[in-house]
Amino acid sequence: MAFLEKSNWVVLVVAVVTLVTYGGTIVGQVLSEPVAEIGWVQPMIYSIVGFVVLNVVGNVIAAATNPKEADKSDQRDKEINAYGERVGNYLVIAGAIVALALTMVAADRFWIGNAIYFAGILGAMGSSVTKIAAYHGPFQKW
Amino acid sequence: MVKPTHVTNSIRALRFAHGEMTQADLADRVGVTRQTIIAIEQGKYSPSLEMAFQIARAFNVRLDEVFQYPDEQ
Repeated sequence: MAFLEKSNWVVLVVAVVTLVTYGGTIVGQVLSEPVAEIGWVQPMIYSIVGFVVLNVVGNVIAAATNPKEADKSDQRDKEINAYGERVGNYLVIAGAIVALALTMVAADRFWIGNAIYFAGILGAMGSSVTKIAAYHGPFQKW
Repeated sequence: MVKPTHVTNSIRALRFAHGEMTQADLADRVGVTRQTIIAIEQGKYSPSLEMAFQIARAFNVRLDEVFQYPDEQ
C-alpha cells in the first residue's frame, strides 16, 4: 500500500473516531435540553485538537512502518490527491452554505458552529474515501 | 473522471522478456511508486505521455510496443 493511501486511511479512521466521540457527547444533550444551554465549545475544541494530533501520530506511525516509501509520491499520487481534495472542498463549501443560511435565519450559534464543524469533518472523510477508492479502482485524469 | 482506460499495454510481457524485471525495478527506473506500475499494468491508470515514454525507454522499445489503443468495435 502506498504511503499516501495509508495516510488517507489514517484521516478516515481518525475522522470517524472524532465524529463518533464528539457526536456521542452532544447528541444526548440536544435531545434533552435547549441547545442554548449545551456546553459544546469545549468538546468541539478537544475534538478538533484530537483530530489534528491523532492524524500527526497516525502518519508518523504509518511512515515508521515503511520509511523508504514515506517520502515517495508520483504523478498518480498527485492526481488522486487533487481529485480527492476537490471532492472534500465541495463538502466543505456545502457546509459553509448551510452555516450561512443558519446565520441568515438567526439560528442559535450552536447550530452554526456545528454546521461548520461537521462540514470540516465530512469534507475530510469524503476526501479520504474518494482517494482510497481512486487508489483501488480505475482512475485517470482525463 | 474515474473511469476505466481504453489503453492496453504489454508491460507484463515486456518485464518478463527483460530478465523477469520486477515491478519494483521498473518503478525505480521510471521514478514512480510500485503501486503506480501495478495500476498501469492492470489498466487502472493511464500514464501521462512523458511517463509512457519513460516506461518505453526502460524497456528500450518504441512507445507503441508498450501501449496500444485498440479500435472500438
